[in-house]
Amino acid sequence: MSLAAEAFVSQLSAAEPWPETATLYQPLKEDQILLSDCASSLAVQAYLRMCNLPVRVACRANAEYMSPSGKIPFIQVGNQVVSELGPIVQFTKAKGHSLSDGLDDVQRAEMKAYMELVNNMLLTAELYIQWCDDATAAEISRPRYSSPYSWPLSNILAYQKQYEVRRKMNAIGWGGKTLEQVYEDVSQCCQALSQRLGTQPFFFNKQPTELDALVFGHLFTILTTRLTSTELAERIKSYSNLLSFCRRIEQAYFEDKSS
Amino acid sequence: MGTVHARSLDPLPMHGPELGVHADDIEAPEIELEPKQEVLENKDVVVQRVHIDGLGRTKEDLLTYEISGVFRAKNLIDVMRRSHEARQKLLRLGIFRRVEVVIDTSRGEDALPNGLDVTFEVTELRRMTGSYNTMVGNNEGSMVLGLKLPNVLGRAEKMTFQFSYGTKETSYGLSFFKPQPGHFERNISLNMYKVTGQFPWSSLRETDRGVSAEMSFPVWKTSQTLKWEGVWRELGCLARTASFAVREESGHSLKSSLSHSMVIDTRNSSILPKKGGLLKIHQELAGYTGGDASFLKEDFEIQLNKTLFWDSVLSASLWGGLLLPIGDKPTSIADRFYLGGPTSIRGFSMYSMGPQSEGMAGDYLGGEGYWAGGLHLYTPLPFRPGRGGFGDLFRTHFFLNAGNLCNLNYGQGPQAHLKKLAECIRWSYGLGIVLRLGNIARLELNYCIPMGVQSGDRICDGVQFGAGIRFL
Repeated sequence: MSLAAEAFVSQLSAAEPWPETATLYQPLKEDQILLSDCASSLAVQAYLRMCNLPVRVACRANAEYMSPSGKIPFIQVGNQVVSELGPIVQFTKAKGHSLSDGLDDVQRAEMKAYMELVNNMLLTAELYIQWCDDATAAEISRPRYSSPYSWPLSNILAYQKQYEVRRKMNAIGWGGKTLEQVYEDVSQCCQALSQRLGTQPFFFNKQPTELDALVFGHLFTILTTRLTSTELAERIKSYSNLLSFCRRIEQAYFEDKSS
Repeated sequence: MGTVHARSLDPLPMHGPELGVHADDIEAPEIELEPKQEVLENKDVVVQRVHIDGLGRTKEDLLTYEISGVFRAKNLIDVMRRSHEARQKLLRLGIFRRVEVVIDTSRGEDALPNGLDVTFEVTELRRMTGSYNTMVGNNEGSMVLGLKLPNVLGRAEKMTFQFSYGTKETSYGLSFFKPQPGHFERNISLNMYKVTGQFPWSSLRETDRGVSAEMSFPVWKTSQTLKWEGVWRELGCLARTASFAVREESGHSLKSSLSHSMVIDTRNSSILPKKGGLLKIHQELAGYTGGDASFLKEDFEIQLNKTLFWDSVLSASLWGGLLLPIGDKPTSIADRFYLGGPTSIRGFSMYSMGPQSEGMAGDYLGGEGYWAGGLHLYTPLPFRPGRGGFGDLFRTHFFLNAGNLCNLNYGQGPQAHLKKLAECIRWSYGLGIVLRLGNIARLELNYCIPMGVQSGDRICDGVQFGAGIRFL
């Protein structure tokens, strides 16, 4: 989304309150959604719950194509559609809901840097494992991604997606990496997050921010998703404070609603 | 010796007696020079040989079907008529640039006294022809490259390729056409294409990539076509502001459909006909041969024309269609019908009536049932300027159009459907000028008065310009 459009959207939406009918769209939960999309979707859900903004989750087979940016997830609030965590944070801020208002400039810069780290490392690693690891791509990613479509469209779309992701990986220099190197990158990322978190309940002390939502979305999804190998989850499990962080957020924002 | 050159046969009258007079005129001066000269007009003749000169790639067996009628001729007039027919048939194959017929008396040892030799002198089209043009329209410029290979395998097979490279969209199409030797109307064609369309009235953008195979054949007076088509359709929003109803339809789908169409066309011309009628029935069944889309679509078109006093023509047409979803899935925005605009119900904006999405500037979503009728009175231009020439390309017309487009609740039965289609009828009337472009398209400039406008319909009150190939 261009800056001008973003500014326009923010201005337009500022006046209206958050409606009860707000909906978050993601691919089919049981058969279709992939690790990376599930993580991004969970991050947005966690963020909205932290903001105490109600949202209904709708699963659509064509969610990826419905999204204005082509990325999962996106939310529909009144007449507006906004996709991905960053723009959604901006959007809620315009409506007067923000988690990072209490931070000073240094902390805010630090938060942004860590969010970039998560997006560049964890999200990219998830995409790499999904589409560049041949075993995972063949056993999990391609069949799940193409499940709503009939042959031969299913094959065309799955391979097209794989080609796109691989091309992107090559462009950012991940094309030549081995699986082991990717796991090592994930470990390093987790180490950095673990150190920053330390013994605090959230990354910036007592209050959750969008960084907490993002980290929770990715780590929780990796921990609870079955892949061809458990290596990725194992790497995270060695950081006990991150595990308890995930449990804490799950209990605080996801369990109370269901019980 | 007694040679009748039948060059440039086009103005040749098809009726025997007139032809006889014509033949006499040619023979008359020669009789004085050569006393042996005979008048062959009503004499029995035998066509002994038919030659075809100038063949290169074309296989001869293909042509024997087309010219075999010539052998059955019994007298000279018959020979000329059948040669003319054979020439027309040869030209229709679309593989010759020029066909000339020479009829001569037989020569050689086995020549009969009343024997004739018919020679077709043909010039084949080039192996490959190309075209290049640029098009501007719809906020887009594009460059179109065309390649045509007539007679690719020597039996009138045609291969065409078209590639259009635009500032926004790229499209291409490849098609292969093969007629059955001797029955040009029975043919098959295979197509492969990618087309992209932008539909601003629906804020929709559609990219179709497809393959199709079709077979056409005549039955009695009708022309029948059977077709299978497999299309991968990609729908997307044209703009960020597209309504959510259109956004929900975005994504990929696969349509595999079998369709049948039947056409009876007795009109003397497809654009601005003076007499005759047209009946077109099209039905499409999607979903039984795979794919995601399942529906049955029925569509018909009727047109009747009658010449009245002073060269004026009264034309009445009726269109109608139904789309029935099969199974639980609703129909796709890409399959539904659209109505309105200068080529259907004049006085309304292009495809801007009927079911609409919510919102300030709603998008038109199309309907599952429609009908439209039109009554036209075409007259020559007032005072008939340019009569017999340029002026004949123009007509003035008075029109009355009516129709409706809506969604049907298929649980209710035909009575309720008819009632629904009969309420809230949109109609319009007006007058305008029609320009015929070749025999394929027409332009209209009309002054329209729309009536029966329903809330949500976008109208074009006053002057409206229209261009197209299919008109109500």
